[in-house]
Amino acid sequence: MPFNALQEKDFFGRLPEQDNLIKRVLQADRGQARSAVLSGQRGIGKTELLKRLFGRLFWTQDRVAPFWYSVNPALLSITAFSKTYLFRFICQRLAFTKKDQSLFYHDGISIDGLSTLVEERDAFWAKEILDQYMQCAEDPLDALRIALAAPHRSMLSTGIPVAVLIDDFHLIQGLHLGGVPDHRLASLFQEPMAHGKTPHMISGNMAELQEMPLVSGFDRVQLHPLGPEATSSMVLSLLNTHEAEGTMPPLLIRHLGGNPFYLGCIVTRVCEKNNPGEEDFWNAYIQEIMDGTLAHSWSKVLKSFFPDLGQRRTALAIISKIYHTSDALSCQRIAKFFALTDSQAHDIMQRLYLAGFIRGEFGTFRATDDRVLRDIVDSLSMREILAKSTHDLEEHFHGALVPQKEKAVRFDMTLPNAKDAELIVAESLEQIGKNLNINQEAIGQLQIAVIEACINAIEHGRGMDDKVYVSIAAEEDHLEVSVESAGQEFIIQETGEPYRDQEAAKTQGRGWGIKLIKRFVDNVKFEKTAYGTKIVLIKKIEKSASVHQEDTAIRE
Amino acid sequence: MMPKGYINTIGAENLASTSEEFIDKGSKKLVVNFTDVQFINTIGLSIFLSIVQNTLECNGLLCFTNMKKDHREMFEMAGLIKHVKVFKEEKDALNYLNGRS
Repeated sequence: MPFNALQEKDFFGRLPEQDNLIKRVLQADRGQARSAVLSGQRGIGKTELLKRLFGRLFWTQDRVAPFWYSVNPALLSITAFSKTYLFRFICQRLAFTKKDQSLFYHDGISIDGLSTLVEERDAFWAKEILDQYMQCAEDPLDALRIALAAPHRSMLSTGIPVAVLIDDFHLIQGLHLGGVPDHRLASLFQEPMAHGKTPHMISGNMAELQEMPLVSGFDRVQLHPLGPEATSSMVLSLLNTHEAEGTMPPLLIRHLGGNPFYLGCIVTRVCEKNNPGEEDFWNAYIQEIMDGTLAHSWSKVLKSFFPDLGQRRTALAIISKIYHTSDALSCQRIAKFFALTDSQAHDIMQRLYLAGFIRGEFGTFRATDDRVLRDIVDSLSMREILAKSTHDLEEHFHGALVPQKEKAVRFDMTLPNAKDAELIVAESLEQIGKNLNINQEAIGQLQIAVIEACINAIEHGRGMDDKVYVSIAAEEDHLEVSVESAGQEFIIQETGEPYRDQEAAKTQGRGWGIKLIKRFVDNVKFEKTAYGTKIVLIKKIEKSASVHQEDTAIRE
Repeated sequence: MMPKGYINTIGAENLASTSEEFIDKGSKKLVVNFTDVQFINTIGLSIFLSIVQNTLECNGLLCFTNMKKDHREMFEMAGLIKHVKVFKEEKDALNYLNGRS
């Protein structure tokens, strides 16, 4: 039920998406609302956002009635589905009129009970629908049609549009008549979804939804990972909820990629300790990826797509291979490597893609960007395939993930989308150079490159999260500056290089930016991150000889 | 001309309009002294390109002086340096231009 949504204080960084959805749904009273699909990786908060949308529609306005339905895999016979769908709709619609949430909890209500309820409330529209449904009880297909059309029919009778919010919609493909799933049954949603006064907002497993012809024409509302600020606020709030104090290491926060589910799991685990320190956070993460809620949730996904143990082991070995290969792999290469037929390899790859373990649907496959998932797969394959002990796993992840005491001096800053914001970084670099006695020429060159990187980041993040996150790390022999923005489409997948977007290309000379950056630093890396895009500039440094001499003189 | 500080959109556009004013008044020899230029970005660089083009179109001569090494490298990278005369000091540029007139 949607009323178990998170409290307002625990729901972070999704206000623009909420407002967008509300605006979209409220167009229903003019008959112009379009159905949409919420898109985003597992754990990103699609369900929570739908619940939040339901709550706002239910409590804060009277123009559009919300209807929430979460597809239950145990209720996919069309008889069971039709009944629960229709009964819940009627209960929720009646609840909306009186703002009476007690009607939400009538899940097991009988048809007679519902008829009585409908009569008590003088809901003639509902009585008509119920009567028709009862007449069709012998014909499950007709009953399903009536259930799916109920929101539209209620709109025609009452004049109040209905926003239909369906979670886990991909499971609809499992609707069956007599035990055999029939994908065509999902197409019965087509008509109700097309009405401008009954928009359907759906969420579910994105890879599977994309494969459904029914959803292909839908608008997509993309949910991006939480930005650093929303992430920090969420961590703080979760810690407060557990009455704990502590600071999650920034490196771990970045590792979790702004995924609210991941963050929640780690904080819940770490709060088993009082006032956890940095090491405790890392240990909690390692426990979670080895044997915690995080590991179990992904194991469950793997099991649901590969119920057979032998096939699951092969699938796991394939994912591991893909995760540890920099090239994209074709089905043919996988087949050859694992001694499978092309058809077997294709089937496994397709399932892994649908399950969200790998990317790429046009014949070649790559690792996901999700670093947590990669760690979980490593943990699973080390344990299940290589038969490593828990101690070995702990040692491996501790060595691979937990940073040793950093030699680097590190400075982090957040730039707003403000005039000449890039100069703040350039000026900071100058001061850092002075503080650390770094050769001024190297600093000057790095400043030029950093200015360009920041301008690019601001341009490419515009319209999303406008902030740019800059991190400057001074190591023994080099300076490393990373500039991260929300621009999602900044990097060409095949080359890893950024492209000049059309606006930039129109401005004469803007294509020089990357060329100039490459000229003035020793190494440039472009990375696609969970937040967006990151460019990392590395400049070798020498400490100023003159300052060393001064130091020596002072010591003498 | 003595641009100052950060040569980005606004800084370079001011410089471009000043150079246009000089050219409109018939001055065909322009000296840009970079002493007070702290940073130049590629937007500024692209506007410099238009200044160079305007000067060349009226058969003028553009001199850059007091450039930092990095800024000179930027102009080299953009292929602009071959269209201008570069001098270490402003007085060197003025002597050169006076000698030519």
